[in-house]
Amino acid sequence: MSIKDKVPVTILTGFLGSGKTTLLNRILSEEHGKRIAVIENEYGEVGIDQGLVINADEEVFEMSNGCICCTVRGDLIRVLGNLMKRRDKFDYVLVETTGLADPGPVAQTFFMDEEISSEFTLDGIVTLVDAAHIDQQLGRSDESSEQVAFADVLVLNKTDLVSDDALVTLESRLRDMNRMTRIIRAENAKVPIETVLNLSAFDLDQILKRRPTFLEPEYPFEWTGVYDLDAGKYELMLEEGPDPEMSLVALVNQGESEEELKDGAESSVRLYAEKANTLEPGNTIPYGDHINLKLEDKGNKSFILNIEKPTKIGLFTQHTAEEFNMKVIKSDENKEIPFKTERFWQAEHEHDDEVGSIAIERFGDVDPEKLNTWMGRLLSEKGVDIFRTKGFISYSGNPRRIVFQGVHMLFTAQPDKEWGNEPRRNQLVFIGRNLNEKEMQEGFDKCLI
Amino acid sequence: MPDIEPFSPRGMFHEGWTAEVNDYAIACGWALKGKQFIVGDVAGGIFAFEGDTGKIIWEKENTHSGGLLAMAIHPEGEIFATSGQDGNVQICNCDEGKVIKTLDLGNGWVEHLKWSNDGLFLAVASSKRVYVFNEIGEEKWISEDHPSTVSAITWSNKNELATACYGRVTFFDIVNNKTNQKLEWQGSLVSMELSPDGDIVACGSQDNSVHFWRRSTGMDAEMTGYPGKPSHLSFDDSGKLLATSGSERITVWSFIGNGPEGTMPGELCHHTEPISSLAFSNKGMLVASGSRDGSVVASFLKKDGNGDPVGAAFAGDLVGAISWRPDDCAIAAINAKGVVNVWKFKVRTNLFSKGFK
Repeated sequence: MSIKDKVPVTILTGFLGSGKTTLLNRILSEEHGKRIAVIENEYGEVGIDQGLVINADEEVFEMSNGCICCTVRGDLIRVLGNLMKRRDKFDYVLVETTGLADPGPVAQTFFMDEEISSEFTLDGIVTLVDAAHIDQQLGRSDESSEQVAFADVLVLNKTDLVSDDALVTLESRLRDMNRMTRIIRAENAKVPIETVLNLSAFDLDQILKRRPTFLEPEYPFEWTGVYDLDAGKYELMLEEGPDPEMSLVALVNQGESEEELKDGAESSVRLYAEKANTLEPGNTIPYGDHINLKLEDKGNKSFILNIEKPTKIGLFTQHTAEEFNMKVIKSDENKEIPFKTERFWQAEHEHDDEVGSIAIERFGDVDPEKLNTWMGRLLSEKGVDIFRTKGFISYSGNPRRIVFQGVHMLFTAQPDKEWGNEPRRNQLVFIGRNLNEKEMQEGFDKCLI
Repeated sequence: MPDIEPFSPRGMFHEGWTAEVNDYAIACGWALKGKQFIVGDVAGGIFAFEGDTGKIIWEKENTHSGGLLAMAIHPEGEIFATSGQDGNVQICNCDEGKVIKTLDLGNGWVEHLKWSNDGLFLAVASSKRVYVFNEIGEEKWISEDHPSTVSAITWSNKNELATACYGRVTFFDIVNNKTNQKLEWQGSLVSMELSPDGDIVACGSQDNSVHFWRRSTGMDAEMTGYPGKPSHLSFDDSGKLLATSGSERITVWSFIGNGPEGTMPGELCHHTEPISSLAFSNKGMLVASGSRDGSVVASFLKKDGNGDPVGAAFAGDLVGAISWRPDDCAIAAINAKGVVNVWKFKVRTNLFSKGFK
């Protein structure tokens, strides 16, 4: 018996009229050397021009235990069960769901049913949205926000019908709802095939390669600069910028490694949570405090930094240094001291939609048992509202990092590559509805050793 | 499976014959009282072999465009029916494989076929509907739409047909066009077997359990704890033992005494990968099992459902179906590579089989 590769499956979702069939036909007509079997739930006005198309009515099967994660798509199990006996006829499967389909059961089918999961692997979920109508649809139906939340790729279609400004606003709204997703703009569903097929979207390394910051949490500051300073008096000089004031936290003994920067960031997050003390130009900046620099005056403004003995100072600023042309100047020599290291952070902003993403990032190891208990409880209480989970974890005593993948309450934890010299850390992203970020972060912190 | 080496038949399996069909073999059965063995492949090829030698008698290709889904041989063994993705049912004779009648049921897949025990009726499931025809293909009854695609059908007596779908099992008197009984349970039923007396209804469920009902008392029970879904079920001819798949073990529930509620099932651990086919012998307490790993094992069972292997062989690849010859003196297995294996099975006498107790 040969060990066969699993057949990749792409799920294509989106409201009726978003352009699914157009995209499907585009995929099928292009020369990509793949033989694609299509399972179609929606019979639109446009037919599909290709051989292996199977029509199936959507059948959502809930289980007697009432558990939402056990809900699967009976039609897919039936059709895929037959397709797996015809492996010589195709090497890729596309599932086109109806606009009203909940993507959860579709995705869960590939985790829950052992016969299916032993032969097929979910490659990715592609959601088409009609740029002109998605704003209203998101307000009206749970299905459309769920389809956005589940998407590995969002094809923002019909962009020719919408202004650039509106597109930027729309993209940022969609990004807020789903930080994992990749957004592709398209007219008439014209997208490069490689952006929708063979995504290995459930392969975390691939995603991180493409979007290295997607797992990162958001911070109340955008920038950090680390300055190596001898004893003496320094001035922090700022020109006019986009804001009449700016928050800042200055830390002493700030290291330059990624791990030390993240530690500094975590301390700063806590300090940022406290009320800021306002400083006028000419005032001295205290260390380890949340301060607010007044920058209303025209021209250069200076704040004082006093260094008693040589140290590295970390400045965690609300905006980037560039925006205010911010400089550190040694007062007696009138000489600019450049930063040794800088680091940009994903800035946080307002979230309007119920559906959103939460990222947790912590250095160190977790206790597998505690994590299991926490995740188990979290998913059993909130599993209905958590659509997707992705990330990796450092288990104490395990030389490999553990990769997490989840759909609703289902999750798999698999050993992945070895940590080697990389600092041990944990990154998790949850996409869901009405998630409490603080509570989830605190819960996770209790699992750390 | 790299850790399984092909091995010669052992125990009660004896060298028989081997043949090949053109694609993944999905359905098979003995015809003409064991003189003929018919195999259908997924692409729609049908092949008839001499039961004793494996010599090909006739073959035909592309019987159903899109592919074959089911085959059922008439209990008398003179005719058989096939169905496929083309929405058609064909009734053919076994001698030459000639089509006697083609029934067109529309666009839906026709996934299940069952002859009634007396052979007067052929039940056919296509999507949410079930049809009953007589031997010459005249339509005798059509069901209403079921709530979901019908996942299994079986005859409980000569006029009564049981259907399973999401959420329920229904018993229809197809002669008087009446619904005799509805057994409801929220779950996706993927397989169904009835005890030979028709009283016990056993269904494998998508949520990795076996649900069963006793029609006479209305009592039902759920057997949970399977790692996978029990897609394959088989009752022995006395209706006392129910063998179930759902993992690499065969789990056997015994209905003797107060069981199986509150009892431990028998467990047979002969395979390294999940069970892909199960069949009790026509008479007696022998169960044959085939696995994804390509192994075929026959086990002799005790009343409590436990038992011992009495023979084993390697079929080469995932075992799609197993069929005992009507006299139980041969056992056939078909696999995912289209290979047909038939082994002679040592003749058992009542005296002999007692020796295993």
